[in-house]
Amino acid sequence: MESGELDLPLTTHHSPFTTKKMVERSQTEVWRLAPWLMIALLLANFVLMAFEAREITTGQRIIRAWTQTAADFIQSPVTSVTGGIANYFESISSLRSAQSDNDLLKQRVQELEVELKQKQDLASENTRLKSMLDLKEQSKYKVLTARIIGRDPSIWFDSSILNRGSLDGVMINMPVVDDGGLIGRVTATGPLTCQVDLVTRNKSGVGGVIGQIGESNALGVVGGTGKSDLLEMRYVPGIIDVQIGQPVFTSGQDGIYPAGLKVGDIVNVISGSATTPHVIQIRPASRLNSMQEVAILLYEPPEKVAFDQKLPNATREASKK
Amino acid sequence: MEGVKLTLALITAILLQWTLRNVAEPLAYIDLPLIIVVYAALQRNTIRALLFGTISGVAVDALSGGLLGANGFSKTLIAYVVSELARRVYLDNVLLRIPVIAGACLLDDLVYFGLHRLFGQPPAGDLLTTAAYSLIGTTIVGTLVYLMLQSVPTEKGPRRKREMFAPRRQTRRRNPIRLNK
Repeated sequence: MESGELDLPLTTHHSPFTTKKMVERSQTEVWRLAPWLMIALLLANFVLMAFEAREITTGQRIIRAWTQTAADFIQSPVTSVTGGIANYFESISSLRSAQSDNDLLKQRVQELEVELKQKQDLASENTRLKSMLDLKEQSKYKVLTARIIGRDPSIWFDSSILNRGSLDGVMINMPVVDDGGLIGRVTATGPLTCQVDLVTRNKSGVGGVIGQIGESNALGVVGGTGKSDLLEMRYVPGIIDVQIGQPVFTSGQDGIYPAGLKVGDIVNVISGSATTPHVIQIRPASRLNSMQEVAILLYEPPEKVAFDQKLPNATREASKK
Repeated sequence: MEGVKLTLALITAILLQWTLRNVAEPLAYIDLPLIIVVYAALQRNTIRALLFGTISGVAVDALSGGLLGANGFSKTLIAYVVSELARRVYLDNVLLRIPVIAGACLLDDLVYFGLHRLFGQPPAGDLLTTAAYSLIGTTIVGTLVYLMLQSVPTEKGPRRKREMFAPRRQTRRRNPIRLNK
């Protein structure tokens, strides 16, 4: 301790000098405490990150799930309100070109424009929901339709929050699709909401096959490029003939996605050789930029047999017991 | 009073950050919680700024696809750096705060990006483009928010208002002709 801090008088009356000294002392203590608090907070954040990075592929992220559930109560109404406001301003901005001389007529046009916009929204929503219904009827898996209620608040990522959670039967790694094709997979679930990572994310990986499964042996791994309109397929042997425009489907060999979901169409091929694989660029089949309603496939991949039980030593161990 | 004002501002900033991307995509470039964290740090209350940094960062991370704690880490670090800077350098003038918020935004982006690379989860966006847009958006909105926050009356209100645009220091003029002598 500094010498100046030891000799504080223990009297009830403080002179202005003493009071100033006390204030200075408390300020000094705060300044001394601050670096330690900062280190503690940084460490806590670092531990959170390390835990998250370890559990990011398979684990249930509890803090994230509960925060999303709490945020859902705010996000859902705000999304509805902001959507309405945005639609209103859009209709007003489109009205500028149709300004007339008469104020009354202008108001009437505005009202009609708003009405028309609402009808168009309803019509497009109707089409989307109908396609979802078709998808539900055609799909061989149980399908749960969901609505996007939130987007990633950070500009660095592009995950989405859906209004379905574990209470609806949603589990981690369940595939998410729209009528076009594959969108991504569920990476976190709360009771009322879940988070979806898109296939376009850098770290994503989907087992893919060029053409219909069973008819083609052009297997590879489809990964994200970080761009919302482009995927990349790797590890397809360079000796296989690949054409632009061919469709790519999921192969079902990744243990997450079922076989036969459309991933996209080939738009570019960097040809390989006998020793190097092709690098294939794919345009996603789903409307990743404008999706509003999606479908979660309540699909659970078949459980894999534990690897060590197949080993001869393991069998011997088991038979000994 | 100051604490209540800043807490309300932080809660509003977090709620807006959660929802504004639904309204328009470019609004996501504005880092509203960072603006409030830097403002709190400029008030020289280090403890409050550090707690604000961690809470707001984790709140944003919770709804983001990134690592939980990455924003908390970067914002806590920035709260401390800005607070230490404000302790040593006079930064009550709003013009001096513009480079501070710009620098804080840049550092935040660099730390956030670096942490994700470190943990093998590289973000989707291009660092240069995203950081540039974020810098422009956050600095402009941050300056407006600071002017707005300073116009909210507190017990220190009149003094702060004078300090916003500090007048040039005037020296006392001496009359060279002394009439009484």
